[in-house]
Amino acid sequence: VVELDHSFSNGKPTDYNWEAILDLDRIVPCVEGGRVVERTSPTEAKAEIKVKMGAMSMTFNGTVDVVEQDEDAHRAMLKVKSREKGGQGYANADVTFSLDDGGGKIHTAAQISGKAASMGEGVVQNVLDALIKDFTTKLEAI
Amino acid sequence: VRLGPDNATLSVKTKKGGVASKAGHDLTMEVTSWEATLDDDSIVLTADAHSFRVVEATGGAFDLGDEEKAAIPQTVREEVLTDPRIEFRSTSVQDGAVRGDLTIGGTTRPVAFDLPAAGGRLAGHAVVKQTDFGMKPYTALFGTLKVADEVEVLFEAKGDASG
Repeated sequence: VVELDHSFSNGKPTDYNWEAILDLDRIVPCVEGGRVVERTSPTEAKAEIKVKMGAMSMTFNGTVDVVEQDEDAHRAMLKVKSREKGGQGYANADVTFSLDDGGGKIHTAAQISGKAASMGEGVVQNVLDALIKDFTTKLEAI
Repeated sequence: VRLGPDNATLSVKTKKGGVASKAGHDLTMEVTSWEATLDDDSIVLTADAHSFRVVEATGGAFDLGDEEKAAIPQTVREEVLTDPRIEFRSTSVQDGAVRGDLTIGGTTRPVAFDLPAAGGRLAGHAVVKQTDFGMKPYTALFGTLKVADEVEVLFEAKGDASG
């Protein structure tokens, strides 16, 4: 398991950010290459992420579900479960948001297997870190 | 002497870099559309940067398929060298030492390289720094995978082209 901590700051009210992170149609596309394939319930979606590695790319298909939400504490957990398209690998992640005024903290616990993981934990950690940093910059404009 | 893809090869070698460099490949790309005129004291070469073809991809964690190899020249066209014109004009050629002006994408910089006729067969290489020509080296995976700024340009005549 790779665990990473990030924060974001967008100057928006907590209630605004709370609504945004729970709206899968808004939050999933903030991941570069990510899109909602089908919204299956207010808290569940089928989603896809295409990670471009130059000429090569890997696509992961799966689900993103809001599995915990504590409105008073403004804390929510999104569970990502996905399988590598055309491969044996998977990419799962528990992403926990803790909002405070004007932004928040993001804790990610990810498990990656297959082709992507074969590059080594250090590489996976670096790429995930860069992906989430990019995600936080997109949250600034959500 | 006139040279082109029929009697010589012009190729570009790139190196990968960045923390996720394991995901990338070192590439050798052949230029399929170019021509050069060599005289005793001058060299003029023009090349089409949109005519690259990947002939070798090494060092990656996964092998590149044909489709992926074909996608690389497309990326060059669309994101790296949108202006296809490459031109080199020598300013001096002395004992196999060549100096001149290289123009890539409208930016001209001086370059120098050796072009010895070893065994009557011309061969040489030059190092080109992309940022010197206002180019932005290609990056992917949120900047964790990069093409190194310096690329190597290789030239080799197939037969006796020393004139």
